[in-house]
This record gives sequence, C-alpha cells and structure tokens, in this order.
Amino acid sequence: MTIMRRSRAQLLAFVFALLGLACAPAGAADGDQADADPIEGFNRGMFWFNDHVDTYVLVPVATVWDKVMPNRVQRSIGNFFDNLRFPIVTINNLLQAKFKSAGSDVGRFLVNTTVGVAGFFDPASDWGLEKHNEDFGQTLGYWGVPPGPYLVLPILGPSDVRDGAGLVPDGFMAVYPWFVGFVYTISARAVDVVNTRSMYLKQVEEAKAASIDYYSAVRNAYIQRRKSLVNDGVIPKEESEDLYNVNVDKEIVE
Amino acid sequence: MDKQRARCGSEQTGRRHRKRSYYLFLSITVLLCIGSVRSVYAAASDGPAAVVQQTADAVVAVLANKSLASDQKRAQIEQIVYAHFDFTTLSKLVLARHWKELSPEQQHDFVEEFKRHLSVTYGRNVETYNNEHAVITGDREESNGDWTVKTKIIRPSAADVLVDYRLRKQDGGWQVIDVIIEGVSLVANFRSQFQEILTSSNADHLIKLLREKNAKGEPLKS
Repeated sequence: MTIMRRSRAQLLAFVFALLGLACAPAGAADGDQADADPIEGFNRGMFWFNDHVDTYVLVPVATVWDKVMPNRVQRSIGNFFDNLRFPIVTINNLLQAKFKSAGSDVGRFLVNTTVGVAGFFDPASDWGLEKHNEDFGQTLGYWGVPPGPYLVLPILGPSDVRDGAGLVPDGFMAVYPWFVGFVYTISARAVDVVNTRSMYLKQVEEAKAASIDYYSAVRNAYIQRRKSLVNDGVIPKEESEDLYNVNVDKEIVE
Repeated sequence: MDKQRARCGSEQTGRRHRKRSYYLFLSITVLLCIGSVRSVYAAASDGPAAVVQQTADAVVAVLANKSLASDQKRAQIEQIVYAHFDFTTLSKLVLARHWKELSPEQQHDFVEEFKRHLSVTYGRNVETYNNEHAVITGDREESNGDWTVKTKIIRPSAADVLVDYRLRKQDGGWQVIDVIIEGVSLVANFRSQFQEILTSSNADHLIKLLREKNAKGEPLKS
C-alpha cells in the first residue's frame, strides 16, 4: 500500500520529466566534446528550481543540523541509512551476476545490524567487507542499456532517462517501506536527505566556487560519475586516449 | 638458513622439528618477499607512486604544522603543488582542439589564470584541515605510457574519498596532469565547461571570466 503510493509519486515525477522531454526543442546537442543534452532548456529550468529549493530550504535546515549534531552522530545516521539500503545494493549485485559482492553485502548487513547496533556503526568495513554502490540504473548500464538523455528531475536532481527509470524498481527493492507506514517512510527519507546534505555543505559550496559554468560542471560530473560506477571505476580506452592526447597541438605550440 | 635450521634441529626432534623448521622457512620467505617489495619501491624512488606519496606527505606536513598561519601554509602548499603539477599540459588537455586557436599570449594568460583559479578555489581548504591523510592503494601503467596512482583520502570525521592521479613523464620527472575524484576527472569536467563557453563565445571572454572569478575569490590576505 505505502510502497504503491511512494512509487506512484516517483513515477509521476518521472512522467512529468518525460513530458518536458517531449516538449523540448530537439537537436540542441553539440556533438564533439560537449556532453549531449538534447533537452537542455528543460533541464536548466529544473536545475534552477532545484538549486533554489536547495539554497533556501535544504541548506538552512542542514546548516542548523550540522551545528547541532556532532560529526560522529552525523556519520552514524549516515551509516544507519546506508545499512537500510542493503536490499537494493544486494539485489542489484545479484542482477549483475556479482555474486561475491552480493555475498559480502549480506555479511555486511548481518555484522552491521548486530555488532554495529542496528547499523549505526560500520564494523564490517574494518573487517574487510567493503561497501558497494549499486542501483538499478547501474544494473541496466551493466547489461548495455545506454543512459539516454541527461535529465534533471524535480527535487531528486541530476539523472538520466535510464537512471531515472531505475528509481522505480529501486523503490520496490527498498523493502522497509513495506513494513512501516507512509509517514515514517517520508520522515526517514527527510532525515536521510538533511543529514546527507549536512555532510556536504562545504563540498557543494566549493564545487560552485570552482566551476565557471555550474550547470555544465554538475552535468559532466554526473555523467562521468555514473559511467565510472557502471564500469566499476574503469574508463573506456578510446575515451581516455582522446582525453589525454595533446599531440594534435604539438607543432603549433612548440 | 641451513645453519638456523640446524640450530633448531639440535633442540627439537621428529615431526615437531619438521613443523618448526617449516614455519621458520615460511617466515623467512615472507620476510624476504617484504624485503624485495621494499627494494622495488626504493629503486623507483622517483617513480609516479613515489612522487604522489612524497607530494601528499609534504602537503599534509604543512597542513598539520600548527605554527604556520593560513597564508604561509597556502604559499608553501602552492610551491609543493606547482613543482609536481604540469599546468601547461593540463591546460592543453582542458582546451583540447581549441588550444591551437589561441595566440601564444592567450595560451600563456590562460595557463596562468587557470592555475590561479585552481589555487584560489582549493586553497580555501587550508582552514578546514581536519587530520585527513592519503594512502596509496595501487598504481597502473596506461596505454599511452602515463601512470595512474590510486589513493584514498582517509577522513576521521567523514567517509573516505577515492582520488586518482594521472602522471606523465616530462623533462622534470613525473608530473600530475589530471586528478580524478570518485571517478570524475578534473580535466574532462573543465573541458566540458570551457567547451560551452568557447563555442558560444571566444578565448578572450573565457580568460576574462577566469580573471574576474579569481579576483573575486582571492583569499583575503591578513
């Protein structure tokens, strides 16, 4: 019941985004080295909206949270929600036939839920059971599904068509919303979001200061990060050859 | 080793003796292996991994030095980083095919402003240093002869961060030409941003943008 409502909200958000996709002018992509972004107009609008929600709602709350909560507590709350993601990570590892990783995820969950006091601590990492980052978008990518156009989702932020669609099955895999009420699920989600944001206050500020064009900086970071996660950290050879080649310019410079 | 085994044998007999000498053999082998690994590292004391380790150690030493003011720290770190980063190659990679469209003066200005930009932005971290340190987790040779050195930044109050450095052999030894944070390459990220500006505008405009940003973000001198 609750999961239905939850995923329906996500689905609505997704359809809404696709609607924007259909309305956007086609053929804005530059080819060459710029990241493809056929619905840049829609995305920039949504990015502007999200950035305002972030600046005027989320950041003030997260700043207070950061002041009140000791670092250790913030980290523990982060651990707790990471531990809750256990079914999503494990199922997606299974779906990618990464059985060894899935086995280690089960071990992590058992250790951190018991020894780690309901997941607030992470002794499993110290015991060599490392944390994995997996979701359904990555599973699709693993089996060769391309990301499709870059897509900024309302509130949820940077995504692409593949990863955005992946949020729906991930919502079903989360398991805990099946057992607790809708209000609890939403509250937990809110605490998770505020707590996570409170640990990245400085980083986001720095990213804004470091970028010349913040929108394309975030878009590129999202695309690179997801590609790296899908490939488990390996950059495809052709791309790396293009990225690190200065030979074309040699005769002009020296 | 035979001598040691013999000495061992005079005290012990039978199966226990064999077992004991086996353990001795094993531990000596392990020690020998560790020794040879050490010497491999020692032989490559100016190799890419050593360069990254020395640079990271030097930077952490400055950051952790409580007797230095923020400005002094920033100046010292700048010196260390400038010696090990190749900003000209970095700039060429970031501008890609646009690099050759720039005049030599523009190229020079761009390198200087871009360097300044990175220094101003990341120099702020000096104030918020919180006992972070870096450990090398591996390295590999790339198909074009570059090396990638993988590191992990250990942060006592937050999650670890994976940072890879790509190094190229230049006249002055191995130099960093890209930093990849959690899979996001700095070169690729700036390339995509500058690409937009250079296709819709020109190099002078880009250099002006950088200059303005640097002037605004310049850390206050006290």
